[in-house]
Amino acid sequence: MKRSHLLVAIVGVALLMLFPVGITNPYYIHLLETIMIYAIVLFGLDIVVGYTGQVSLGHAGLFGVGAYTAGVLVMKLAAPLWITLPAAILVTAGFGALLALPALRVSGPYLAMVTLAFGTIIQILINEMSFLTEGPMGIKLVKPSMFGHVLDEREYYWLCAVLMVLALIVVHRILRSHLGRAFEALRGSPVASDCMGVSVYRYKVYAFVISAGFAGLAGSLYAYSEQYISPNSYNFELTVLFLLAVIMGGRKSRIGSMLGAAIIVLLPKLLDDVEMFRYVSVGLAILVALTAVIGIQRGRLTAKQMAIPVVGSIALAGLSFWLKTMTDWRLSIFGVIMLFVVYYLQDGIVGFVRNALNIKRPTPDAQIAGAGLKGGDAVSTAADAGTGSEILNASGVLMQFGGLKALNNVDLSIKRGTIHGLIGPNGSGKSTMMNVLTGIYQPTAGAVSFVGRSVVGRTSSDIALSGIARTFQNVQLFGEMTALQNVQVGLHHTFASNLFDVSLHTPRYLREAKGATDRAMGLLQFVGLAGFAFEEARNLPYGKQRLLEIARALALDPQLLLLDEPAAGLTAPDIKELITFIRKIRDHGITVILIEHHMDVVMSMCDTVSVLDFGQKIAEGVPAAVQADEKVIEAYLGGTAA
Amino acid sequence: MIRFTKIATAVALASMSSFTSMAMAADPIKIGVDGPFTGGSSSMGVSMRDGVRLAIEEINKSGGVLGRQLQAVERDDEAKNERGVQIAQELVNKEKVVAVVGYINTGVALASQRFFQEAKIPVMNNVATGSIITKQFDKEPENYVFRNAAHDSIQAPMIVEEAITRRGFKKVAILADSTNYGQLGREDLEKALKAKGVTPVAVEKFNIKDVDMTAQLLKAKEAGAEAVLTYGIGPELAQIANGMTKLGWKVPLIGSWTLSMANYIDNAGPGGEGARMPQTFVQEPTNPKRQSFIISYLKTFNPKNARMDSPVSAAQGYDSVYLLAAAIKQANSTEGPKIKAALEDLKTPVEGVVTTYNKPFTKTDHEAITANIPVFGEVKGGKVVYAYPDDQKKASVVQMKK
Amino acid sequence: MQILTQLIFSGIALGMIYAVIAFGYQLTFATSDTLNFGQGDALMLGALVGLTLVGLGINYWLMIPLVCLFGAFQGAVVERIGVRPAIKIKSEFGWIMSTIALGIIFKNVAENVWGRDDLKFPSPLPESPLKFLGANVLPMEILVVVGAVLMMLAVEVFNRKSIYGKAVVATFNDRDAAKLMGINTGLVITFSYALSSMSAAFAGVLIAPLTLTGATMGAVLGLKAFAVAIIGGLTSGMGIIVGGIILGIAETTTGFYLSTGYKDVPGLVLLLIVLAVRPQGLFGKSAIKKV
Repeated sequence: MKRSHLLVAIVGVALLMLFPVGITNPYYIHLLETIMIYAIVLFGLDIVVGYTGQVSLGHAGLFGVGAYTAGVLVMKLAAPLWITLPAAILVTAGFGALLALPALRVSGPYLAMVTLAFGTIIQILINEMSFLTEGPMGIKLVKPSMFGHVLDEREYYWLCAVLMVLALIVVHRILRSHLGRAFEALRGSPVASDCMGVSVYRYKVYAFVISAGFAGLAGSLYAYSEQYISPNSYNFELTVLFLLAVIMGGRKSRIGSMLGAAIIVLLPKLLDDVEMFRYVSVGLAILVALTAVIGIQRGRLTAKQMAIPVVGSIALAGLSFWLKTMTDWRLSIFGVIMLFVVYYLQDGIVGFVRNALNIKRPTPDAQIAGAGLKGGDAVSTAADAGTGSEILNASGVLMQFGGLKALNNVDLSIKRGTIHGLIGPNGSGKSTMMNVLTGIYQPTAGAVSFVGRSVVGRTSSDIALSGIARTFQNVQLFGEMTALQNVQVGLHHTFASNLFDVSLHTPRYLREAKGATDRAMGLLQFVGLAGFAFEEARNLPYGKQRLLEIARALALDPQLLLLDEPAAGLTAPDIKELITFIRKIRDHGITVILIEHHMDVVMSMCDTVSVLDFGQKIAEGVPAAVQADEKVIEAYLGGTAA
Repeated sequence: MIRFTKIATAVALASMSSFTSMAMAADPIKIGVDGPFTGGSSSMGVSMRDGVRLAIEEINKSGGVLGRQLQAVERDDEAKNERGVQIAQELVNKEKVVAVVGYINTGVALASQRFFQEAKIPVMNNVATGSIITKQFDKEPENYVFRNAAHDSIQAPMIVEEAITRRGFKKVAILADSTNYGQLGREDLEKALKAKGVTPVAVEKFNIKDVDMTAQLLKAKEAGAEAVLTYGIGPELAQIANGMTKLGWKVPLIGSWTLSMANYIDNAGPGGEGARMPQTFVQEPTNPKRQSFIISYLKTFNPKNARMDSPVSAAQGYDSVYLLAAAIKQANSTEGPKIKAALEDLKTPVEGVVTTYNKPFTKTDHEAITANIPVFGEVKGGKVVYAYPDDQKKASVVQMKK
Repeated sequence: MQILTQLIFSGIALGMIYAVIAFGYQLTFATSDTLNFGQGDALMLGALVGLTLVGLGINYWLMIPLVCLFGAFQGAVVERIGVRPAIKIKSEFGWIMSTIALGIIFKNVAENVWGRDDLKFPSPLPESPLKFLGANVLPMEILVVVGAVLMMLAVEVFNRKSIYGKAVVATFNDRDAAKLMGINTGLVITFSYALSSMSAAFAGVLIAPLTLTGATMGAVLGLKAFAVAIIGGLTSGMGIIVGGIILGIAETTTGFYLSTGYKDVPGLVLLLIVLAVRPQGLFGKSAIKKV
């Protein structure tokens, strides 16, 4: 972490701890305590919403599960703190898994509705199972005791503060690790993620379960804090507030989560007090108007852009003076704020401030120890190199979409250590074949075996981890991640560290992380992209993006590399470079299947060439023979045989 | 740029001056008012609040208490226990109230009172009827919770007396809601029935916001119930009546006082007529005090059809403020312990709407209403009237606590 | 046995309500891959507006087309404010948040305009039950079933026969191609939202006489209707009717034999199970995405 950041963090924590010493009114201490508890929930929710991009409408329910686990244990068994907190975390994580396993097979609106259903079920169960939870009558709690001494309001505040800081550190470490990269990858390009060995489904579930654990911790703290829990509190309104907080504060940001928590706790209190609200809304209107004027004068903002915020904030101020009480309209105000945030503040307040002040996101791993490995060493050497045995066998593969046969009874045999070309006109089934080989499609009929094991029926990530890597016809990089991070995702399989290793930064994890960084740099050097290591992948020029994809694929230590039109869109010098790379890859013993339209590339490099047309193999053999084949010329190459 | 600075400064100054002027009013006595002003219980909460407002206005007009004006700090608990908890903390720590009137819902009262008890701030429960409300802190040396409503240990036996003895039903079913109020009330009913050697043929539960009571009613009907005893609030009680109509099964509804709520009467329609419940106050001008109360209430708040939404809540809310005011005056202080001591030993009688309070509380007895005060009301013609003409005749004589 | 028939009939009536609302989900999903998370609130607004109109003296049957018009208008507003800008900025969950936000706003406005209490909706048909196979069936319940089926038939016929219907189907199949063919896809999407909210509002005035009308009536209904849409299959009209009946009967039987508190549970659990085992629903078709 940068020096200045660390200093700011330390000052922040110190202020947090000193707060109850300066302000002794229990009401305000309790308020800040609630903000911290909500912040813990949001740290977890941010992983799901901000990083993996899933909308969860069930986190209030998970929060409730945590609260009730603690409450029931205290009520029935008089359990002490060091049992209730871990129990809450584990039970809630369990519920999270129970929900995530079926729910995350689908995405988008499905998940939102499913988590909503889950939250409703939880509320009903808590309400009805009164033999366990006392139902609507609720459970009363007192503050917990540590070492025989009952904590008072101030001491409990410190407990919550400490736990929040710990939660912050743990989340931070998770997101900076290979786990965090996996989360971002599955959102950036789910297909590429699967094909790099990071199973989208599995990691979505991990993300959800981790966030459930945090919600459980926060829930148990909440139970002690409020000293009373009832089923009513964990409803749709709360879940919407959590979402609003994450989005408004700023996704992918711890500060954003804390800011969001503060907003959703303080805003209802503000709305309760009409007088105070009037002052604040007038102040806000003035601020927005001033920003608009200055912005327009300086040319950074247009009148059209600022029209709605200015009019809106003035209208809000006017409304606050006209209405006698704002509490009745509380939910409408939340709704309007949500709309505003969705359209104007997509990166949240933190993102907005960053943009305005032109602060860049902190880049991880800015210091790289050493210049990585020697270029050659970065690419692994495949086993059984040069034996010429068969590495992949596809027989009678049929791929049918409705009535269309994209692949019609295709046989393919790939020999180890060769570069095998796959050519044919557009729509002939080349990419479809690749997708079948990497498990993206299940063939309608036929068998495919790789190193003796069948590929059919296995998931893409499983196939990738067993040694087949690929690039894509349309570049599927993880756009918002840097080039280095992209390659590091490919190296995901080298990590054996689990959640504990990551949270505690054990020697094993630190070792693996450094190894991955060094190796990734090495791979970048291999394709000549070392200088772009910290550049966001989407900013790279097209040709370099294609090379980055190859580097990422190599990170999988594959035995078979599938290249889907790697030369497309490259200039002549780039193509020459590409050919060199592919040859070097082959020299490491890695077998290559190459789909290409550039005939010079294909003919100069390939040992064998197969030709597809309308889903059928029409020719196969050494390049020269194929080039002269009549059927091939008619279907693809054009012209008449010489 | 300079223009904007000028305007901004002007606005800032204007707001600052209005802020300071606010702080200069004379130091009022803050009374917390906690009730559900929105939601299914709101007709009780709003009526209680209006009764409180009326009393405070009258007292302030005649000079206030100890030369200071009374100020109501009203908070809507939405009939939610956890809201009550948060409001209690706010009233104690932020608003620093001197005493609290309110609590319509038993659950909210039970969850929230302990914060006032800890802070030694007296609570005058003016509507909530759960029996254990005033007994919650029996084990402690000082109990700060008082009540001027007819608690369920009075109502439940009355209901049972009416159903079993007076009207001779042998088989009764109990339908109660799942809140603290409903379930504690159910327990009281079962206890009272047992004392008469009767076991209910069906005991069913329903949730707040439930609309379809078919399942519970079918079970009661199958068991052969001749009457249904209820413990719930307006909207759900209306659905019970509607459900009975739908099933074509009309048996008498006898239940707790909430069968007098406006939203029960309105939503149950003709199917709700004939329901009977104990009432401490019926909206009829049966003596001068009651008459003037009804007139000023109707004039100030102008309810629809000149019908109070919950006459009992309004009357008891009104009385609760007068009781507190008398205690504060006698104690000559706004300190909690002193107000409590004065309440437990009120030297001058307080003339209220429900009754005249003559030494209503002692150190061990914090209930102002005894079994002889409430009478039975009946829903007739869209409002609540005296069920028994004898009661109406006797109403002009104020029943005092025995 | 008599009780079982009673429960089955009540269940069918209940299920048809869910089906009508679920139908609305299907309409918008078909054309824009979006769902209106405020669908339940559209129903609630329809019921409350209907109540006001009836209170003003308008006959129930005359009120229905008026409420349908209102529903269509409300749906168009939701699409304009909530969905269109989100699709334009290609936000992945922007429209989820904005339809939720609009639903919240509608509910809160309804609370303030009509109050937070639940109100009684005067029934246009006699309230005394009819005897049918030993069970009590309210005339209103029969009206609900008939109305729901009629409405769904109308929309199906419209989709298949008229040119506008074909435009909707085209947009469903390939939005960009439809646009290139000269179909104003924006208008089609707005239209589908309007139609969806209209069906919800219609459902609202159908069920209002059977339950209490209030600002909170929409929330759980919207969720259960979604469950029906998923169970039946978001692409199949028949599936929705079957899903609705399954859910309705499951609810009434659970409520009686288990406990009324649990009656919402079977539907939600069924939703989770169907999603886990057969995500395209009982009658839906699964689509293979091309990479």
